[in-house]
Order: sequence, then C-alpha cells, then structure tokens
Amino acid sequence: MAKKRSTATRRAESEAAATRAAAIRAEQERAERRRRTLVVAAVVVVVLAIVFAIGYAVQSSSDNSGTAGSTPGGTVGKYAVPAGPADAPTKIVVYEDFMCPFCGEFEKVTRSAVQGGIDAGTVQVQYHVLNFLDRSSTTRYSTRAASALGAVLDTSGPAVAKKFHDLLYEHQPQEGSAGLSDAQLLDFAVQAGASRSAVSSAISSQKYKNWVANVTDQASKDGVTGTPTVLINGKRASGQTTDQLAAEVESAIKG
Amino acid sequence: MRWSWAGVGLLARLVVGGVWLVAGVVKLPDPAGSVRSVRAYRLLPESVVPVVGHGLPVLEILVGLCLVLGVFVRAFAVLSAVMLAAFVTGIASAWARGLQIECGCFGSHGNAAANAQAAYPWDIARDVGLLLLSAWLVWRPRSPWAADNVLLPQRPAEATYDRTHEETREHGEEAVNGHP
Repeated sequence: MAKKRSTATRRAESEAAATRAAAIRAEQERAERRRRTLVVAAVVVVVLAIVFAIGYAVQSSSDNSGTAGSTPGGTVGKYAVPAGPADAPTKIVVYEDFMCPFCGEFEKVTRSAVQGGIDAGTVQVQYHVLNFLDRSSTTRYSTRAASALGAVLDTSGPAVAKKFHDLLYEHQPQEGSAGLSDAQLLDFAVQAGASRSAVSSAISSQKYKNWVANVTDQASKDGVTGTPTVLINGKRASGQTTDQLAAEVESAIKG
Repeated sequence: MRWSWAGVGLLARLVVGGVWLVAGVVKLPDPAGSVRSVRAYRLLPESVVPVVGHGLPVLEILVGLCLVLGVFVRAFAVLSAVMLAAFVTGIASAWARGLQIECGCFGSHGNAAANAQAAYPWDIARDVGLLLLSAWLVWRPRSPWAADNVLLPQRPAEATYDRTHEETREHGEEAVNGHP
C-alpha cells in the first residue's frame, strides 16, 4: 500500500517536475523571442533612420530645383518666354519640353495659326520650357535646349527666341538619342538671328540650367503633370489629343 | 510540401525585393523628377513632398536589398507591405479623383499622362500582388539562402523554416528524418 502510494506519488511528482520544467523552458523561449524581436525592431528602426537621413541629404543636394540661378532677361513672370505683344487680347500659355514628341506634333500643327496671331498682334504665347524629359536623351538635351532658349531670349529678344524655339522643334531629335549638340544649338541660334559671340558661352556653359529646373519645379507646383499643357486666357485646354488641343488653340486665335 | 513552401518564401523575397531595388535605383538619378511624381498625387502637403521624394528611393533600395539578401525578412516585409498599401491608396485616390498622372513607380517619364486612366488598374494590380507576397513573408519569413538563417538561427525544435510548431510536435524526430 505504502509502496504503491509511493510509486504513484513519485510518478505524479516527476510529472509535475517535467511540467514545471517545460513551462520554464517555454517561458524562457518566449522571453528569448521577445528579446530578439525587440533587438531586431530597434536595429531596423535605427538603420532605417540613418539610411533615410543620408539618402535624403544626398538626393536633395543633387536636386537643383529651388536653387536661385541666373534668370534670362525678357521673361514673363520669371518663368515664361514670351512671343507676341504683352497687350495682345488672347494669351496662350504652353508648357512643353524640347524632347517631347507630342509637343513637336502640337508645334507643327499650330505653327502657322500661332505665328499669324503673333504677327497680327492679337496673340501672345508664353512658353514654359521644361526639362522633365532629361532622361529621354543621353545628354540632358531638354535642359540644354531650354537653357539655350533662355540665352537667346536674354541676348537677342523674344522675336529671335521664337524663331530659335521653332527651329529646335523643326529639328527635334528622336527620343533616346543624344539630342542636338551644343554646336548645333549655337548654329540654330545664329540662324534665328542671335549673335554668335553673344550666346556662345551661355549655351555651352548651360548658364540658365537652374532657371530651367525652377521653371519645371514651378510647373509641377502649378499642377502641370504632362506636356504639352496649354492654357488659353488662363483656362486649361481640355483636349486629350494633340489634334483636340490644336483645334482649341486655333479657334481661340481666330476669336 | 516543405520544399515548395520554402521555395515560395525565396521566390517572394526575390520578386518583391527585386522590384523594390529596381524601383529605387531608376529614381536615384532624377531626384527632382521623384519629387514631382510625389507632388502630382496632390495628397501630401508641400512641406513634406521633397522629403518623401528624396528619401523614398533610398528607402526602396534598402527594403529591396534586405529582402533579396534575407536580412530581417519579417521586419522589412512589414515595411514593404505598409509602403505598398500606401501606394495602392495613392493610386486609387488619383484614379478616383480623375487625375491624369503616371504612377511614378519606376521614375517619371512625362508622356504617359494621356493614357493614365488605363494604367491605374494595372499599377494597382501589380502593387496588390506584391502586397500579398509581402504578407506571405510576414507570415512565414523563413526561407533558404537568407542571411537570417545565420543572423537569427533557430533552435533545433523549430529549425526547419517551413514547419509549424504543431507539425514538429506531432511528427517529432522521425518525421524529420523520414524526409529526404
């Protein structure tokens, strides 16, 4: 009887001990897992903060938007290249990129109507030349071409700048190409009527590249997310295709 | 079964991590474009826009690298899922508001605005797919060829990356040895 009870007790005791040991082991494992989770979380948060801070510093230092640079003389509202008289009744604002094929198409279709309106003194076009397609060429052609337009406007005035602008669209390079070279830009500037010696260094040094970055940044802040974007007398043209846009522009010019 | 599960984890890491890597790297050369892409959603205040635009690509590369290499997989899968959920929300919101923007997911190109409405569903579908893969990695972060297997070694009882505790208890050592 005593022996039997003793066996039962021993078994019960050893089972209880095993259960306690298992519980302690499980508790230790849980504590270990909690500790590990906390350590990993802390390490991840610290790494995230450091990488984010370094990345932000590097990226923002290589972004020249907002950096004040030379602004070409003769702009309208600092960011636009005007063509046509300031007192013209019809004002057309065009946001474009010299690399953008739809802009080239739009320019081709509207060229004669727009030039006619400018010559008649009834239309002023304000060109915002952006660089957001810089990566569509291998040489940041958008920035180089827009900066060159600034140089021509600054040295030779809006009429020559308009001619230069038109020449660049008539000789628009293919997307993905190197674009026109600085020498070609200079030749077209001279062909439009600029003085070679006056624009040469401004074109090759991209004197107005910060201005171009700021034109682009301001356009983005004004809600322009694609080119061509056209405003007719302050109202955004609603056309989705180049032909629809061109039709709206032409009807505005005819009045 | 166990190898295919491990394979899912590895595949999820490579796919999700690879996409993050590519998305981050292609944005690096154009910080201004990255800022414009963020601004185009018109969801964040202007004071925050440049911080997100400049910081996000680097964060994407970090998440991508850690997932591909298998470093702290669960933590970075959580981050990946949170970021993807935010992107899906942003794209859906742009779609709902009728904005004509490109998602900017892999850098900005500028010309895509004309067919933006057609692109939104595909952008969302892709991000939801990646979100599901991230969720899988949160649930089962263990997979072969991961730095975690060295960094955070498991105790023998849970040493196989594909095995739940219940299975381990049920089948014990024999089951482990019974499989090739």
